[in-house]
Order: sequence, then structure tokens, then C-alpha cells
Amino acid sequence: MSQQPSHVSDPSRIKVIVATDCGSTTTKAILIEEIDGVYRQTFRGEAPTTVEEPFADVTMGVVNSVTELQELSGRRLIADDGTIIRRSSPAQSDGADIYISTSSAGGGLQMMVAGVVRQMTAESAKRAALGAGAIVMDTIASNDSRRPHEQIQRIRELRPDMILLSGGTDGGDSKKVVELAELIAPAKPRPRFGNEYEMPLIYAGNKEAAPLVAKVFDGRGFDLSIVPNLRPTLEYENLGPARDRIHDVFLEHVMAHAPGYDKLMTWADAPIMPTPGAVGDILQTIAKGRGINAVGVDIGGATTDVFSVFDGTFNRTVSANLGMSYSISNVCAEATMPMVLRWVHLAGMDERELRNRVKNKMIRPTTIPQSLEALVFEQAVAREALRLAYVQHKEFATTLKGVQQQRTVGDAFSQQESGKSVVDSMRLDLLVASGGVLSHAPRMEQTAMMLIDSFEPEGFTELAKDSIFMMPHLGVLASVHPKAAMEVFERDCLILLGTCIAAKGASKAGKPCFSYRIEGSGIRETGSLSGGELKLLPLPGGAVAEATVTPERGFDLGAGPGKPITRTVRGGTVGIILDARGRSLRLPEDRDQCRRAMESWVHTLRLYA
Amino acid sequence: METAAATASSWFDGDRAPLLGWLILLSMLVLASIAAARRGKKFPIRRIAGLVAVEEAVGRATEMGRPILFVPGVQDVDQMMTIAGLTVLSRVGKIAAEYDAQIEVPTARSLVMTAARETMQASYMSAGRSDSYNPDLVYYVTDEQFGYAAYVTGLMVRKKPATCFYMGQFFAESLIFAETGNAIGAIQIAGTAESSQLPFFVAACDYTLIGEEFFAASAYLSGEPDQLGSLRGQDLGKSAIGLLMIVVVFVATAAAVTGVSGLTDAAEWLRKLVGG
Repeated sequence: MSQQPSHVSDPSRIKVIVATDCGSTTTKAILIEEIDGVYRQTFRGEAPTTVEEPFADVTMGVVNSVTELQELSGRRLIADDGTIIRRSSPAQSDGADIYISTSSAGGGLQMMVAGVVRQMTAESAKRAALGAGAIVMDTIASNDSRRPHEQIQRIRELRPDMILLSGGTDGGDSKKVVELAELIAPAKPRPRFGNEYEMPLIYAGNKEAAPLVAKVFDGRGFDLSIVPNLRPTLEYENLGPARDRIHDVFLEHVMAHAPGYDKLMTWADAPIMPTPGAVGDILQTIAKGRGINAVGVDIGGATTDVFSVFDGTFNRTVSANLGMSYSISNVCAEATMPMVLRWVHLAGMDERELRNRVKNKMIRPTTIPQSLEALVFEQAVAREALRLAYVQHKEFATTLKGVQQQRTVGDAFSQQESGKSVVDSMRLDLLVASGGVLSHAPRMEQTAMMLIDSFEPEGFTELAKDSIFMMPHLGVLASVHPKAAMEVFERDCLILLGTCIAAKGASKAGKPCFSYRIEGSGIRETGSLSGGELKLLPLPGGAVAEATVTPERGFDLGAGPGKPITRTVRGGTVGIILDARGRSLRLPEDRDQCRRAMESWVHTLRLYA
Repeated sequence: METAAATASSWFDGDRAPLLGWLILLSMLVLASIAAARRGKKFPIRRIAGLVAVEEAVGRATEMGRPILFVPGVQDVDQMMTIAGLTVLSRVGKIAAEYDAQIEVPTARSLVMTAARETMQASYMSAGRSDSYNPDLVYYVTDEQFGYAAYVTGLMVRKKPATCFYMGQFFAESLIFAETGNAIGAIQIAGTAESSQLPFFVAACDYTLIGEEFFAASAYLSGEPDQLGSLRGQDLGKSAIGLLMIVVVFVATAAAVTGVSGLTDAAEWLRKLVGG
């Protein structure tokens, strides 16, 4: 790991920052500078990632992307020896004060996790791995319905970067967790990058079983590290030590053996983070800083990541088969064609047409829409991919299971199960979108509607998108300079689309849903909406207004059914979207009716005008 | 002068004819529901939190490396609640076998012990873990109510089970069990139709199967068409009787308030119809 320079320990001396994100295909560099006492992202460079043959050196892509920054900014950033120049004093016009980086090149961090009970320690282990930015290849548990030989076979097939083993509370079960160790040890899984190093294995289970587990792995080709139990009791989850260790192992083993990363690590002034881990960190920083609940989504070609922070609890899920290019066929299979078709307002489109487009996209996954029909189709699929990913996220982001409940006699007829989702759409304050189909939609209204249709926010929710997928850079920056990260996030990273005001309740076409009065800078609007209606009120970015909304009986906007609520709302590039379509959102089952409804919403929001 | 009343044997009491009508109607409803279920019609049963939580409770015991305690009530196998308790035991036993968790079943009746052993053996076999079944963990303690209660609570304090199930008929010992279980930090799931004991279980346990829920557990867990159809038929019958009783109350009240003879006659006729 690189030695941190004095700049890092003294954030006030950091004025110029170079940050890169080494993705699988592209390395993106940004330049952040302090201008008039405020940190701003000023320039952006991009170059192909060079982790694969024939280059096999990630730093070449980094240098190329930073060279583009250099050319655009006029500031010399690359030295003659091909390294990034550091300034020795603020007066120096060349170089940067710090250089930081994230990486998801070569498939990112891939892990296998294991725990005693699937819904308890195994789930906690999965949460720790996902929170650290890993892709979880498989979860092995005592009750995962597979026989031991099947589990061993599966472990042998996987080539994870590392393994996280948990199980048992402190002072609890030792037998099962040792049994799991005895399944993993003889399976001898090999690390993804070559066979020259020992498979890193992090043990975060019952502390009393640690010596027994160590004995099982002793001399069998594993690099075992023992960290505090991630479920010391079933009532408490302690993911921090396991996540930190995952980051360390990622740097020490995985990165150190990936082509060129040994050099990149010496350049970086802060530990290189897995890209999704960095995105999670910045979302947590923002949620904590503003005291809000936030959800972020990054929809890619093969996978969709969903991040959430509710009441300070962070969760991340990776929907491995939901994406817009390589996984598009799977999205359509999982959602079914009629579900995709309901988002299409064009008269000529039918299931056959959609199926043909899916197959074409499978053949040429990296193409982008060239016609209106293709764009409408792609955004319809995106809605379903996002909806399914969000459903999976809500199912995973739950309260702890296996916890003792406290009851009173009043609970006789309202006994709630444990393991309830912590994701509550009514309490969601900020929804952030990133990923090609959302970030590069031709109109901001399209991005906003895709978010609303798939996430179904309730009450008052701000919608935003990550302008140039800068969140990874800011995530790692937050670890060395939180103020700079926050300022850039607010000013340059997020493009605020506006605020969605949506009523929760069963909506019926034509039946009154809510009335509203919105007053503020440049806006004074009153009116009412009936079931199935949408309305767009323009309110520019930076403008705020006071919105008083009175729902009809049976509808809720956050203050309770039928109760009026007043909130300050922020404008954006789209404005304020009033949604009286009800929650959960039900579209007409009849295709013609559905198409007409969709057509009216498209017209109201001028989605494809 | 009054004449003495004369008795005569009769095959059928005509005044009770409405009850026969109800009996036939309810039987038809049950049979029709069973037939519909056999034809593949789905009868959804609402999620019963106490039954859903069984897996979680067994998982807790597995993670904590502690045993599971199952108390099948203090009555014999001739009681419906004991039978219902054994039905739940089969489910708990199967999950415990799958998780390889230890389950201990002390009984207060020797016949219950025999039935519980057979139930457990079948559960372990269906889970494919018959080798793990230990009959010594299903045993008879005493018929004495408080002797049994003393033994069970002593066991709880000594072994500190992670999970306690109380499924069957309980009396005064219910609160002793539930309070002890709560004190040792166990997840507790109770089920009984003994209405006087329900408040204690509700207050002290994590989940409680209340009355009909307890009897519905069998259908819920097995998912067999016959049981599901029977449950639905009974529910329909109960709903019909409940609805009729509300009508009777309204008509009788209206008759009492207004004094209209037609309403009084109607109320009387309805009262007889519901078997009053």
C-alpha cells in the first residue's frame, strides 16, 4: 500500500485532485479544483482500460485518461517518466495534490460467502461482501438445500478472489461452522488471478470456533485472516471489521496480482476501492450529511446495482442478470413480454416486434437505439429491469432475522414477522440514477419517468441523476476529504431532475385523488388530480417552493391517509411531477386501454416530443 | 282440573329442524369446498406469522448452538389441541432435522410421548436424516401438572434453549413457561385454543397461534386439498351464521324499539332459524 503524503493528513492543503475509475472497458479521469473556496469538478478525460492483453497494464489507461485531462485543462499532470505529478507547494502550477482511484476492471471484486443459516449469518456475510463492493458468486449455507458433495463441487467450480466465512454467534455454534470450513478446505478453490498466491479467506464467525477453523485451513493453501464476528449475537450485526478486511485483502491480494495494479497502488494517495464500494460510501456520506434516506441505482449492461441508506443502515444488492445489453434477454424472460409491452405507447408495437428487438440486442449488445421505436423499447425494458432489481433489493434489505420480539397483549391480532424490509418508499427522500440508459436518455423527463415507473416513490421524493458517473471518484475522495466530496457531489455530480409528489393508495380512473397548492420562486399553482392522472409543473433547478397537498380519503402523502401535508420542494431540469396513478402502480390490463393511458402520460410529460 | 302430561316416543323433534338444515348446509359447503380443492382450485390462507417464524426460530437455535424445546401441552392425545400441537411438531421436527438442530420434547402423558416419537421419527425420515433421530429426546415426565411445569422450567433454566414451542392445551402453567422462556432470552412460539391462557402467551411469547389459527395450522402446513377445502367450508359456514346473527340482532332490536308485531314475529322466526 502507498504511503499517504502529508497532503492527505491535512485536507486544507488539498486544492487539486486527480481521480480515476478503472472500469472494465473505460478508465474515467476527473480533475477537481478549488475555485473561489469551493471544490468543483472542472475537467473529465476518458481512455480505454488497458488491463487485458496485449497491454496488461492498467496504468497505461490511467495515464491516457489523465493525459486527456492535461490537454483539456492546460495543467501538466503527467511527468516525463509517465507518473502523475504531485505539487510540492500550492504556488506550483503543474501537478495535483493527491491522486485517488477506484477499480472494477477485470470483473471487479468477486467473492464467495458462507454461513451456518442462510437467513442469518450467511445473509450477514453476503451483506458485508456486497457492502464492500463485491459481486457475490454464491452463498454456501448449512440449509441451502444442497448436499455436501454438491456444495464441494460448486466451491471447486468457482474462482473467487476471496472467501468470507461466518457462522455461529460468539459462544454459540462451533460444529456447523467447522463443518463449513471442512467443506471449503478440501474443495481447494483457486483464486481468479493465477495460482501463485494462496486463496484469501476471512473468518468472521463464532470467536470460540476460530482456533478450530484455523486448524482446518492450516497448511492447505489458504491465507486465513480472523476478524470479529459479524453476528456476535443474533440481535446485533457488526459488518465493519469484515468489510474493512475485505478492502485490505482486495488491495493486498487481488489488486496486487492484477496487471499493473502494483504500480497503480504506489501512485494512489488513498487505498484503491472497488467501484461499487466507493459508490456506496458516497451515498452513505450524503445521506448522513443531509440526514435523509436515499436510494441509488446503477444500471449496466449485465448487472444492476441498487444502493440504499435508510435511517443510516446501508444496503447494496447486485442483480446479476438484470442489465440492458448482455442480460436484456433475461430481463424479458423474468419480467415477461406483456409486462414490458405495457410501457410501450406506440400502436404498432406487439410482442413479436419486441421479441425481435430483444434478439437483435442480444446479437449486438453494445448498440444504442437509432430510432424512436428502439428508444421506447429500450426504456420499457429498463423500467422492468429497474423494477425487478428494486424488488430484489427490498427483499434483501431487511431487519435482522432470528431476533427475540417484544410483545404486549395489544399485539394479539397484529403480530409482525421479523425480517421486514427497511426500504420504505414513503420515507425515501432522494433517488439517484446512473448507468447508460438513465444517464444518456435523450430527455431528462425520460429519466425521471423511468425512475418513477420502476421505483414507485411515494410522498415527496427528489429525483436526480449522476451526470458523468462521478460517484465512484467521490466515494474514495470522501475517505480523504469529505468536504470536497460533498461540494462536488452537490454542485457537479448530481443533476437534480425535480421532485415527484405521489399519493399512496388504490387509484380509480376519474376518482379525485388529491388537491395541491404550490407557491414559490416563479411558481403559483393550485389544482387537483384524479386517479390515473399525471401533471408536470416546471420549476427550474435551484428554485424551491412550498407545496401543500391534501389527499382524498384512502390516499396518503406522508402525513397519514386523508391528511394534508406541506413540504418544501426543489425544482430541477424536469420540475415537479404530480402523480395520481396510485401506489402500488397498476396499469390497465387491457392492452388498448394500457396503451392509451401510457400515451396520455407520454404526452403530459412530453417524453418523446 | 289439569290433565297429566303424556309422553310419546318420537323419531324427530320438529322444533329442531332448522339445526338439521344448518348441518346439511355446512356439510355441503365443506364437501363442495373439498371437491373444488381436489379439482385444483386454490384456496389461499393468510400468512400466519407464528408458523412462518418456525424456520427462523429453528435457525436461531442452530446459530446459537442450543437446543429447541417443544412442549405439547399437558393433556392427553384425546384432546384436539394436543393433536394440533403434534401436527406443528411434525413441521418443527422436519426443519430441525434439516438444520441438524437438537430438539427436546418432554411430555406430560405417556401416550403423547408415543405419538410424539412417531411424529418425530417420520419428520426426520422425510428430511432424509433418520440417522439423526434420537428417541431419547422425546420422553415422559409426569402426569402431575405442576410437577411437569417444575421439570420443564428447570430444564429451561439449565439448558437455556434458544427456541421454545408451546403447542397444545395449557392451564395455569402457561405463564410459568412463557415467563421463564422470556427470561432466558428464547424465541417463543405458542399455540392454544384455551382462551383463558391466550393473553399470557400473547404478552410473553414472540408469536402466538390463537384459537382457530392453531387448528388451521394443520391445513396451512400440509397444503393438502382435503384439509384446505374443509377449512374453507367451515369458514364459509361460520361466516353465514355470523351474518345471520347480525341480522337477528338488528331485527330483534328494531322489534323491541318499535314494538311492531311483524318485526317481533320475524325476530322470533329468525331466532329459531339459528337454533336459539
